[in-house]
Amino acid sequence: MSKFTKELVDSLADKLLIGLSPEENQMIIDEFDIIDENISKVDSFENIKDIEPMTHCLDDFTFELREDCASESVPIEDLLRNCEKTEGREVEVPKVVGGEN
Amino acid sequence: MDKTIEELHQLLKEGKVTSEELVKESLQKSHEVEEKYNAFVTILDDAKKEVDTDSLLCGIPFGIKDNYSTKDILSTGSSNTLKNYIPFFNATAVENLLKAGAIPVNKTAMDEFGMGGTGTTAHTGIIKNPWDPTRMCAGSSAGSACAVASGVYPFALGSDTGDSIRKPAAYCGIVGYKPTYGMISRYGLFPFASSLDHCGVLTRSVKDAAIVVDAMKGIDEKDMTSWDSSNIHLYDSITGNVQGKKLCYIKELCNLENYQDAGEELRNHLQNFHQVIENFKKSGVTIEEVSVDQKLLDALPSVYVIISCAEATSNMSNLTGIIFGPRGEGKNINEMMKDHRTKGFSPLIKRRFVIGSYVLQKENQERYFKNAGRVRRMLVDTWKNIFKNYDAVILPVASGPARHLDSDKDMLEKDTAVLEEHLQIGNFGGFPSITIPDGFINDLPVGINITGNVYDDSNVLNIAYALESTMNYKNQIAKEVKHE
Repeated sequence: MSKFTKELVDSLADKLLIGLSPEENQMIIDEFDIIDENISKVDSFENIKDIEPMTHCLDDFTFELREDCASESVPIEDLLRNCEKTEGREVEVPKVVGGEN
Repeated sequence: MDKTIEELHQLLKEGKVTSEELVKESLQKSHEVEEKYNAFVTILDDAKKEVDTDSLLCGIPFGIKDNYSTKDILSTGSSNTLKNYIPFFNATAVENLLKAGAIPVNKTAMDEFGMGGTGTTAHTGIIKNPWDPTRMCAGSSAGSACAVASGVYPFALGSDTGDSIRKPAAYCGIVGYKPTYGMISRYGLFPFASSLDHCGVLTRSVKDAAIVVDAMKGIDEKDMTSWDSSNIHLYDSITGNVQGKKLCYIKELCNLENYQDAGEELRNHLQNFHQVIENFKKSGVTIEEVSVDQKLLDALPSVYVIISCAEATSNMSNLTGIIFGPRGEGKNINEMMKDHRTKGFSPLIKRRFVIGSYVLQKENQERYFKNAGRVRRMLVDTWKNIFKNYDAVILPVASGPARHLDSDKDMLEKDTAVLEEHLQIGNFGGFPSITIPDGFINDLPVGINITGNVYDDSNVLNIAYALESTMNYKNQIAKEVKHE
């Protein structure tokens, strides 16, 4: 019996603002089971907890803070070009505060 | 368009052909290939040369994967969520090629946002393999691989988060190269998994790959992970001399006895691999067998899924249909965003987002996300230890030629062979990695991969060039197999 349930998957999807069909839900449960089985094996690796998780490809990565100077900004007209509903220089959305829930 | 960049450049220089003629031929081929294999999102019928330069790429047509932002040109990432999206800027890599005088003629279709390995999840439909349309190109750079293999142009841009350049290259009988992480700026590339994403190129020869990446690369203040590679000249450093170079292959991946019930294609693929490396030794290279902990290798596919899905979930939370993309329907903003995402994403993408979200939940992070990062480090350290003794690792790509279109739904299955997924190690470590064609099985091409240590791109390309020179697959154009 999988520890991953339809309800769990639907709840995760809902938080992501994604709706799933029953077939999509089942596929996720199936994949979870495989990942979970493989990760259980990882737990048995010697001294696994002593290893620092790797989050970046390059070990010698250097970060430099840039000078804080003003640069040209993107014109609002360009930013709004791909927005389907605008009002003047703003994005139009349904009323959020006091609107329909 | 069936020639190399060097050859086309020479013809242009001698006045035997004009860039207008090349563009015309490339566009004509684009329409033919679109009709047969469904490789493009957009064909730029008004393409023309904008600048004159001394670059080898000046006047040469090329393709751009549809997850690169292109100014005033539709850039969808092959997703319904961006089906009408037109960027107001060029990706840096694209801008660099335009400055060199190269001419984009189309945007190539791909697995949605690069998150697939089949070429079957583009919003414009399945991309077919030009050697056999009943088979897949692999992905995600499927349209680019299909077009280059079909002779539409000598190169097309790809991106590679797991093996998205290097596997389609193998399935389509061409060259696929992803350089060291950060050598090419990712600015303007739609992000999938930022710590694994690489820009790169698909070509039909190693030298062409070097020429194109020389033009694409460079430090970019818009990508803080890019680095200064001005002292690296890939094309100029190719000599073909590999005397004294040391390579190795991984025993657990390459020996047939490790695969129970191996089919004919896998048997032939591995046999061919061993013949090819045996022959390569005549060029003066040493190739040895190295053993890696099987348990560590077995963890690879799941670790990749965990890391890539976690990063993707976060990266793609901006796809809401509010600021850009088609608006969803609903009474309030949450309903509108959910409608947009539910209708816009393919089932594969939804699956990956949910997995990513689960492994990032506070209570699950230690078991899944952090352990995946630990295994990533173990794998990368293992490869780096190998590079202390060897110039590069040489391995077969996948388990044979292109899979049938109905054979793989991009699901992580229990019996997933690590052989299918091992190129992901190149993304974990940011290693330079190149696939070249190394033979045919049932009239379909197969590939071989060479991966070296970070920043050692020149060495990797030189080895690949020397290996390419021992075979007869350089600059080959796809010939459709005939089915009885």
